[in-house]
Amino acid sequence: MSAERAAHSSTSSHAASSHASMRLIDDYARGGTEMAADTVWALEAHLETCAICRGRLAASVATEAPGTAALVDSVRAALGPQLDTAVRMPSRRYRPSRLPAWTTSVTVPWLAMTVIVTVLALLLAAAGAPTAAGGVAPALLIAPVLPLCGVAAAWSRALDPAYELTASTPRAGLPLLLRRTTVVLAVVLPALLVEGWLTGAMTAAQWLLPSLAFTSTALALGSVVGVTRAAAGLAAAWCAVVAAPAWGAGRVPVVLRPDQLPLWGALLVLGTGAVIARRRAYSLL
Amino acid sequence: MRSRRRALDELDEENLLRLVARGDRRAFDELYSRTSPWLAVRLRRRCADEQIVAEVMQETYLAVWRAAGAFAGSAVGGTAVGWLWTIAARRLVDAFRRRAHHAEPPVAAAERAAVPAAEDEVLAKAVGGDVGDALRQLAPELRQVLQAMVLDGLSVRETAVLLRLPEGTVKTRARRARIAMREALA
Repeated sequence: MSAERAAHSSTSSHAASSHASMRLIDDYARGGTEMAADTVWALEAHLETCAICRGRLAASVATEAPGTAALVDSVRAALGPQLDTAVRMPSRRYRPSRLPAWTTSVTVPWLAMTVIVTVLALLLAAAGAPTAAGGVAPALLIAPVLPLCGVAAAWSRALDPAYELTASTPRAGLPLLLRRTTVVLAVVLPALLVEGWLTGAMTAAQWLLPSLAFTSTALALGSVVGVTRAAAGLAAAWCAVVAAPAWGAGRVPVVLRPDQLPLWGALLVLGTGAVIARRRAYSLL
Repeated sequence: MRSRRRALDELDEENLLRLVARGDRRAFDELYSRTSPWLAVRLRRRCADEQIVAEVMQETYLAVWRAAGAFAGSAVGGTAVGWLWTIAARRLVDAFRRRAHHAEPPVAAAERAAVPAAEDEVLAKAVGGDVGDALRQLAPELRQVLQAMVLDGLSVRETAVLLRLPEGTVKTRARRARIAMREALA
């Protein structure tokens, strides 16, 4: 039997379309019980995927099964008033999900703040601040610690409302922190680059290495005291020890001269090494 | 207006559902006229009580209207029609739960001796020639269980409600059906 069926179907499968026959659909629409079980099964599976056969079934219902057709019409009639009063669920299309899940909700505001600080420094330079302070660009003084603003928010308990959830995910820890830090750098560094190019007061060599060194140091210290505290502490120390005196004196600070670059490079390597050595310490938030 | 009506005809069910999600009543009407005969016939083959079928269809389409926005669509590999059937099958089980004593027992498909037409044979290949034979040789009560669980995608508990059997019986029959199918296909 099965061999015969298989042979039969293999010959007919070449010629025939893969749609159900009208007679079969009529039988199905009438709800007859004489159909073979496997045929019904195949037909129902087919109808679920084939719009054409559903259309033919609809036509068949109209002519062959008046009871079902009447049922369809009466359901539609009763449905009308209910549709008017039904409370509709908000569509998932309009739910705000523009940010990837691994960012924190404060990512955008903090990055915006960082960019605004950059722009303000630019405006300050354009407004003639250099004459008041003796020729040192304000942007140059804040550039090394500017990424720290974003890094402070990247791994913070106070600034991440979902920090408990974040800390419990498998991706939590250093990978997530590095990802968020990368986002910060990807926004801040181009902004600084554009600013340096616009003002002409600082070259990338002057601030790029220091800002990277500060970022890695903040991450390294973060494994001990918390990233937010480390970033805030470093920024405060920079402002108090280097930026404020340089601003007052109107000179480019010693540590930002090109001959100090090996020092910054060493700090960057040291910070990165410390982060790698303490990579297990970031699972806490 | 005219072109819009034609545009609705050309859309597939997934796109119609997207329009329904935005509150388009005409898209809903189109979806209803396309799918309701299919759904009615399929439900009637599972439940002889016309009143329950009408109730289930009403609840199903009301749910579609209310929750079309929740249909994730082809992004998760689901079809709109499959989604519709999932809702309807669940509602049918719920209706059986509510008033089990009203429902007629589901119709057991009788055996048929006639030679099937060529197109039907092609169609049966969707299930597979040998699988089709095995299905037909399966005892009706085992096949019912298999149909509810595999084709209609119901759980053991839902199948038990639909067929008005104890859950343990459903599990036993599902296992026996699987064993029988395996032997038939070996």
